[in-house]
Amino acid sequence: MTAVIEARGLKKTYGVTTAVDSVSFTIQPGRIVGLIGPNGAGKTSLFKAILGLTQFDGDLRVLGRDPRSERNDLMQDVCFIADVAVLPRWLRVSQALDFVAGIHPRFARSRATEFLRTTDIKMSSRVRELSKGMVTQLHLALILAIDARLLVLDEPTLGLDLLFRRQFYDTLLNDYFDKERTIVLTTHQVEEIENLLTDVIFINRGQVVLDCAVDSLPARYVQLNVTNDRAAEARQLQPFYEREVFGRVAMFFENKTAAELGSFCTNGGELRTPSVADLFVAKMQGTGS
Amino acid sequence: MSSPQPNLSEAGTAPGLAPATTLVSRSSLQIFIVLVRRELWEHRALWMTPLVVAVLLLATTFLAHAGPFPFVNDDEVWRHERSREALFALMEWGLTVPQYLVMVIVLSFYLTDCLYAERKDRSILFWKSMPVSDGATVVSKLLTALVVVPLGIYLLALITSVLFAALMLLRVSLGHIPAGMAMWNSIAWLKVQALMLYGLIVSMFWYAPLAAYLMFVSAWARRNVTLWATLPPIIAILLERFAFGTNHVVDLLQYRTYGIWGTLNLQNSVNSTVTDGPSHIVSLTGVFDTLNISTPFLSIDLWLGVGVAVALVFAATRIRRYRDDT
Repeated sequence: MTAVIEARGLKKTYGVTTAVDSVSFTIQPGRIVGLIGPNGAGKTSLFKAILGLTQFDGDLRVLGRDPRSERNDLMQDVCFIADVAVLPRWLRVSQALDFVAGIHPRFARSRATEFLRTTDIKMSSRVRELSKGMVTQLHLALILAIDARLLVLDEPTLGLDLLFRRQFYDTLLNDYFDKERTIVLTTHQVEEIENLLTDVIFINRGQVVLDCAVDSLPARYVQLNVTNDRAAEARQLQPFYEREVFGRVAMFFENKTAAELGSFCTNGGELRTPSVADLFVAKMQGTGS
Repeated sequence: MSSPQPNLSEAGTAPGLAPATTLVSRSSLQIFIVLVRRELWEHRALWMTPLVVAVLLLATTFLAHAGPFPFVNDDEVWRHERSREALFALMEWGLTVPQYLVMVIVLSFYLTDCLYAERKDRSILFWKSMPVSDGATVVSKLLTALVVVPLGIYLLALITSVLFAALMLLRVSLGHIPAGMAMWNSIAWLKVQALMLYGLIVSMFWYAPLAAYLMFVSAWARRNVTLWATLPPIIAILLERFAFGTNHVVDLLQYRTYGIWGTLNLQNSVNSTVTDGPSHIVSLTGVFDTLNISTPFLSIDLWLGVGVAVALVFAATRIRRYRDDT
């Protein structure tokens, strides 16, 4: 199967600042990939490179095309939501539909109107009259109706309340995603989306820190919660990160078998697979990164 | 994924590499029309202002107190058919002047805003998520300013002139104004309209570099587009004046503003004898009759300007394509 995104030595610099430092990764079709990193890690630069919005060094293929030179063709198969603020305020809902219907060869207007009917958005409204949540719904309605192969979402739910965020991801998963489509997204609310991700890529200071399928995380990472009295003993096994939680110590290990750690599972000690959010914090703050 | 609702299935969630089944191909013309409509949605002043001017013009025609023009009552002038024709033609031309003056102002604002506003409100990220090339977008904006709006205003002015004549006739029949003020001359009217259209087409070529310059600044400036558009020529004029004591930049700008009209025989006039001596009335029908359509297009300067415009539009397109500050 050909990769949806293939980056080899991708590098982006702004003057003396290196935003993306020779990263390499591959994203296969039918995946939902969370690109997770702290502010300024290089996520947006990476997205801009993927979408052909910026120049970069190195090799990058998106759906087999070079985003630098084949951007116009690429945009027929790629959709993106930069964030909720980019729909122009003067645009009417009906005009947005007219425009995309007139431009995009893969847009099914009926699908967009069908989705909008489930919302409170009126066709005659201008974007500036809509709430932030409604603007996102409108943008989502436009994107859902485009039969694209890759959807790139950069903080799509920024500034939305929990109800809208939940609805956004539910809609994305139920009405949009299928095994031929690929979604790459960033968000700071990792806990909310970790159940829908199939892959995670952690990025920090322009470098890929972790690139892993979610279902292979248990084999690679383990979180051990031990009581304080056994902490020193467990520390001998060199966790890459630890923190104290409710009087116990949570330690994070990489590539350790249950056999090595099993002896700690008595007296209130427990082994578990870390959540993506916890793993992210561990990776960002621990010695392993 | 969950099973799609029946009415959604027509959207064609065709599996695999087969989304081409839903592909709706569109011609460049269809896309161009959508892009121009987009411009008219965003910049409503482009079509609302001319409409307001037309309504004001007609309202004035109907409501204003129209005293007899000093020369209209002069039998000497009215006795000559050619003088009457020339006056009528001048009046028809004069009617369009407010429209074209307002157009120049509205278009200047439009051109300085059209590639700046989308960056300012970051909506460029939405427009760029659509499969439209930067070249098509930039050219659609330029053609909106150079062709679509001027032609629209031309048609509006044409309709206004017919309504104006009808209103004048109505006022004469109501006894508001002297009979002589309702003039009509179909041949002269057609000649003036043709002359205006011809002038408009020459303008599109002649003013293309000015329009492209404003667009270029609109694409390039980070803020204060108007300042960036006006300062460089002013500084160039002052520098030249102080450094060399010459006025070449001013001359060039003046030439670019109305230089092309020298190639037309605009001095064409008819003599008419009024009571206190002979007077000249510019004859637009005379200009039309002696018009050599190709003359302005034989001017190398016109094509040099078009060349500059192409270069500036190309530069604006490159900036929009590769700039990365949103």
